[in-house]
Amino acid sequence: MSVELSQAGQVLTATNLSAGYDGRAIVQGVNVEATPGKVVSIVGPNGSGKSTLLKSLVGVVPVLAGTVAIGSRDITNFAPEKVATLGVGYVPQIDDVFPPLTVKENLEIGGFLLPRHDVAGRIEAVLEFFPRLKEMLTRKAGKLSGGERKMLAMGRVLMLAPSVLVLDEPTANLAPMVATQLLEEYIRGFADHGSTVLLVEQRAKAALRISDWTCVLGGGRVVLEGAPKDLERDPVFVESFLGGAARH
Amino acid sequence: MSSFGFGLMTAAVLAIATVGFTMQFAVTNVLNLAYGSVMINSAFVAYYFNKHGMNAWITLIFGVILGSVVSWAINKFVFTPFQRRNLAPITVVIVALGVDLIGTFGLQAIVGGGYVSFSVSPGREFHILGMFLSGMQLIILAICAVVLILVHWLLKYTRLGKAMRATSANANLARNSGVKTQRVISTTWLISGALCGLAGTIFALNTGVFEATSAQLYIVMLLAAMFLGGPGEPYGAMFGALTIGLATEISAAYISPQYKEVVAFVVLLGMLTFRPYGIFGSEKTN
Ligand SMILES: Nc1ncnc2c1ncn2[C@@H]1O[C@H](COP(=O)(O)OP(=O)(O)OP(=O)(O)O)[C@@H](O)[C@H]1O
Ligand SMILES: [Mg+2]
Repeated sequence: MSVELSQAGQVLTATNLSAGYDGRAIVQGVNVEATPGKVVSIVGPNGSGKSTLLKSLVGVVPVLAGTVAIGSRDITNFAPEKVATLGVGYVPQIDDVFPPLTVKENLEIGGFLLPRHDVAGRIEAVLEFFPRLKEMLTRKAGKLSGGERKMLAMGRVLMLAPSVLVLDEPTANLAPMVATQLLEEYIRGFADHGSTVLLVEQRAKAALRISDWTCVLGGGRVVLEGAPKDLERDPVFVESFLGGAARH
Repeated sequence: MSSFGFGLMTAAVLAIATVGFTMQFAVTNVLNLAYGSVMINSAFVAYYFNKHGMNAWITLIFGVILGSVVSWAINKFVFTPFQRRNLAPITVVIVALGVDLIGTFGLQAIVGGGYVSFSVSPGREFHILGMFLSGMQLIILAICAVVLILVHWLLKYTRLGKAMRATSANANLARNSGVKTQRVISTTWLISGALCGLAGTIFALNTGVFEATSAQLYIVMLLAAMFLGGPGEPYGAMFGALTIGLATEISAAYISPQYKEVVAFVVLLGMLTFRPYGIFGSEKTN
């Protein structure tokens, strides 16, 4: 784990958060706290509002009620470009790269806020972390495979050495091996390094394995939350998310 | 062969115009149908200075400034307020059409309906690759070449240019990366407006005689060139402009000059029907 890729974290808190589109709340009254050194994951069925929640934290979707804070600083409804300056790196579920730009240009945009003379060195550091991207610097992001593309999407946010990582289903469409590596090596690694990680993950079992705390979203509300070892024993959770695996 | 020379001139002017037009569309999401009227207004401002004794080539600067400032202002005071209301995209297109009419006929109300022309020496004639080109035409070609290279440099090698392309590809993600996209968009209006003003002025220089409504059908050429190269693709725009420029002038020579826009329109319809993402384009690669 490269020392300077991500930074020691800050606390990201959502309090009584409601958010949605066109003034209609999709996420309602959600409380989440992500702390340095920990992975907090959010699971839940399709359409339960996971992405909407993350987007409202980073300023892409309007917060209708409640607050978002980093440390003691209220950042509710800050513009996304402002949130980026505060050390929050967000990887969206879809549209996570700039397809017509090359890999190198994607990383350069990731480092947009850096002093100009730091960009090249920072790209080097990110490439050390994702060596596969090294051979495809001049390739357009739109031409990458799913896994390469996700690495680029992660690499883009790492350019700013974020202290808080907000990741929306980073393993979607990845081969199982790649997904496991991404979660257990990289994402868990960021937290072990002291960063704050808030992760949405479809595959509950994989999420539990690397999380310190997991929230279950249903219909835009947190319907259940707890430490993974407790959730693994919760019959309702097991029934809905682990396919009854605990019985075996 | 002379129609090839004309075609080359038309193409050069059209290339500048289309690059600005497609840049506006790609980065700011506005299909600015008022582009032609800003072009001709710029030409008239340059002409005004020329009429009062300024060298025609120097007046280009005033055409460029007017195009830039007016485009920026139209966006700031007309398009942006409409876009903020979250109306259907077609609304802004219709508003742009209104601005175009106001721009064109407002100008006509001021300058009258007569034809005017720059006083500029055509210079001596050169015989190049089977074409006869005047010194003036060569200067126009040189300006176009330099400007297109500058645009290439801007988009490919500068921070601003990369931010423009990122904003065009995925504005939200650009914002998440810390790019102030609103500022990028404003700057894009200034730059594309400058191209519009330059295109309008050299269009007028190249045409010889012009009047307030001379650029009214130019939008058809712009749309055809843009769709030929793929909407929002600056390099495609250069290719599209070359093709449309040559096609319209060569057909003008063989059929009738009045059908120039018709030829462009037929190309446009064909593109929209068979290759809506341009000759090289594919549906967004993601
Ligand atoms: N841009 C939008 N405008 C209006 N409604 C939206 C928009 N995006 C999502 N929604 C609605 O919000 C609800 C929650 O969507 P969201 O994408 O947050 O769910 P999710 O939990 O991330 O689902 P998935 O697991 O499929 O990614 C859905 O009903 C969806 O239709
Ligand atoms: Mg989602």
